[in-house]
Amino acid sequence: MSTGRKNPPARRAAATDVPAPAAPAPAGRAGELAAAWAPTAGRVLLGLVLAWFGYHELVQPGLWTGYVPLVAAGSALAAVAVLAHGWLLLVLAIALICGIATRVAAAAAVVLLAEIVISLIAVGGLSDLTMRDVGVLGLAVCLTGQHTQRLVLRR
Amino acid sequence: MRSSAPPAGPAGLTLLALTAVAGIVLAVHGWTGRHSGLAPGALGTAASPASATTGPASPARTAAPAGPGRAGRRAGSRSAASPAPAGSSPAASPGPLLSAQPYASYSFKVWPGTPSSAARAALTGLTVRVRRQGPGITVTASVSGQPAPAPRFYKDGARVYIVEASLGDDSGNSDYSLGDDGLVVTNAQGRILR
Repeated sequence: MSTGRKNPPARRAAATDVPAPAAPAPAGRAGELAAAWAPTAGRVLLGLVLAWFGYHELVQPGLWTGYVPLVAAGSALAAVAVLAHGWLLLVLAIALICGIATRVAAAAAVVLLAEIVISLIAVGGLSDLTMRDVGVLGLAVCLTGQHTQRLVLRR
Repeated sequence: MRSSAPPAGPAGLTLLALTAVAGIVLAVHGWTGRHSGLAPGALGTAASPASATTGPASPARTAAPAGPGRAGRRAGSRSAASPAPAGSSPAASPGPLLSAQPYASYSFKVWPGTPSSAARAALTGLTVRVRRQGPGITVTASVSGQPAPAPRFYKDGARVYIVEASLGDDSGNSDYSLGDDGLVVTNAQGRILR
């Protein structure tokens, strides 16, 4: 690389001999863009999902106590479980959206979502609800293996 | 800004701490208001004693999701005993307009007429029976698979609505959360009977 700077004419000659690399096709550029930003989009979208559920579990726990397995939905224990669950979801959501320890947050989300899927299967078997959450679980699993992320809060 | 395995720095930890505190505040708010919830639950518990009428009735009509299926609603769920109709006796005074309630948009008419597809979806896991009887109707609502309470009588012209705030918790014949379900009976003018 440095020789090129010392001998510009030679570099120009070489440039004429070797065909310049073709500009990436639109599909290629789109692929690069997706590769760069898709993990971030997935992370933020998963965070939004968790935030939505976490917020609603916190402000209206009575609507969610029916999901708590093995506990009567009208009990205080069920309400406490929903509130704790909602609190955890909210913290994980902020971590994912803001890019704070994203892999750790994603791993915690995997545990949480796996618990949700298992409890749904235990309560009602395989259903559309369960399979929807399996998809969200898959997204969380993918994010645990994502080393590079954009729009992260490192400070 | 691109990072490999971004750590949690002081700013990030501060943000998480603030979120945790905000979450605790929301949790306290949710805990204090956990019994208020959506109006249908309150309606069920606020029901006044009704004049139950038994005996032969005709014609009878049952509004319930099709198919035997499993008992969708979980036993022990909060509203397992509460999706009973708002209590009413012939002498009871009507309450506020259903259309003025925040859950009006989540209310689906069950009686009279044929329940819409939305109403049928909202009925998932519930069994609502409406029977003509003398000068009015009797209404029975229960969780599918559980014993039905005594029917309650309402004057002729009464309308029966099922309330379901979120259909997202319904799956097949299961409703995973009864907290957003309820039954409302109004008079012909749309006022909630109490």
